[in-house]
Amino acid sequence: MSATVSMRDALYEAPGPKTRRRVAIGTAISLVALAALVAFVIRQFYINDQLNPRYWSFFARWTTWRFLLTGLMGTVRVALMAGVLAIFLGLLLMLGRISSNKVLSTVCHVITDLFRSLPSLLLIYFFFLVIPRYGLKMPSFWMITVPVALAASGVLAEVFRAGVNAVPKGQTEAAMSLGMTHGKITRKIVLPQALRIVIPSLVSQLVVVVKDTTVAYVVSYPDLMQNARVLISNYDALVSMYFVVALIYIAINYATNRFSIYLAHRSGSKIISRTEENPV
Amino acid sequence: MGVAEVFTEFGDIYLQSVLSTWLMTAVCFAGGLTLGIIITVLRVSPIKPLRTVGDVYVQLFRNIPTVSLLVIFVYALPYLGATLPYRTCLLACVILIVSAFASENFMSGINAIGVGQIEAARSVGLSFTQIIRLVVIPQSLRTTVLPMTNLLIATLLTTAMGSQVPLTPPELTGMVNYVNSRSVAGISAFVVSAICYAGTSVVLGFLGNRLDKKVRILR
Repeated sequence: MSATVSMRDALYEAPGPKTRRRVAIGTAISLVALAALVAFVIRQFYINDQLNPRYWSFFARWTTWRFLLTGLMGTVRVALMAGVLAIFLGLLLMLGRISSNKVLSTVCHVITDLFRSLPSLLLIYFFFLVIPRYGLKMPSFWMITVPVALAASGVLAEVFRAGVNAVPKGQTEAAMSLGMTHGKITRKIVLPQALRIVIPSLVSQLVVVVKDTTVAYVVSYPDLMQNARVLISNYDALVSMYFVVALIYIAINYATNRFSIYLAHRSGSKIISRTEENPV
Repeated sequence: MGVAEVFTEFGDIYLQSVLSTWLMTAVCFAGGLTLGIIITVLRVSPIKPLRTVGDVYVQLFRNIPTVSLLVIFVYALPYLGATLPYRTCLLACVILIVSAFASENFMSGINAIGVGQIEAARSVGLSFTQIIRLVVIPQSLRTTVLPMTNLLIATLLTTAMGSQVPLTPPELTGMVNYVNSRSVAGISAFVVSAICYAGTSVVLGFLGNRLDKKVRILR
């Protein structure tokens, strides 16, 4: 964050009296424009009667929050399970890809790229619409968890690979000169260091997983979004509920992001996200 | 029902669906880039409130799940006096989300330049507009080719949210639902859609990589 601020400020010379005045005027104008925008939104709520207490008062009741929290627990359960599965699968895909076996390496490469280039919703439809046609009945929890995990595993495989590449070459060479076998080097030297490097990236990937779980209503799994829909039909308060739920999701994801940045800062490693990887 | 039969029966609508998915991706990406540029200008402007607005905007739209934004557009906005067609809702949602990520890419492109270059440019007497035009923009554009390629692919995948609202023709993910509700296609419809997504991503990724190799700045 400090780098952002310094570069932003570096673009400008120290302002003289004229520029300072101009910046002050610009600040005043933008504040007025901002206030006008906020006023417009509030007016829009007001004239459509959406500020009516009956749309908001039920948020003061504990039962509302208990039901939303139950939904949130569902979201957390799916996200954590999908995250664990994705880490496991991603690790396997990466190990397969860096192995010296050409066939295994190519297969893992193709699978990784395939999962990265399919929308998670398509995978959810696969488990929701296609698999049951072949007589396999899955509980709704797994119908949402497995596709989300598969979509994330492709990305995580690439994150792990970047982590392995970030371990200095000298480490492997030193281990080789000690006479360690290839498998032993991967297990004892490369992986422990690579895993430590990618921890912040794994945390930040959790944001994508949480976002993917929001379509759990497709398979009618009671997550936060699904429970919010139930409350909407109970209280007949759609606008307030959808806005509150959106804010809850934003808060969770923002906190997760900040936590991963904090971890990255502390360990001095970089967050590897989808944007920095090689495209498919 | 095999893949070939899916093609003979649903070939026409599949073609429309692929074209509409591509078109939506292109529109959303172009719109997202344009809005992203505007947001980035706000974020680097010397006016504090505008910077804050830009920062808050990015945090809001990069953290909101697409469905959550889509239901607000489709179901909540009509209560607030704005009823939009389904396709407009989808495009607006994807553009807002893409613009936040585009602005993040632009910002890291700008941050990668380094304070020293700006100081050097100033010491050889370049004006502010010259610094922006000759130093900042060319370099930040060249470093963002790969992230933007990934964003373009992510845009393609985000348009899959269109399957949650009725669209004619349905986009590629909605097609799985469309075909399955009209015949016993089983896995074939999924395979066709998956091939279209993967194929598009591979081509886009290949082009992005080539462009990146051409213009990348080695630091």
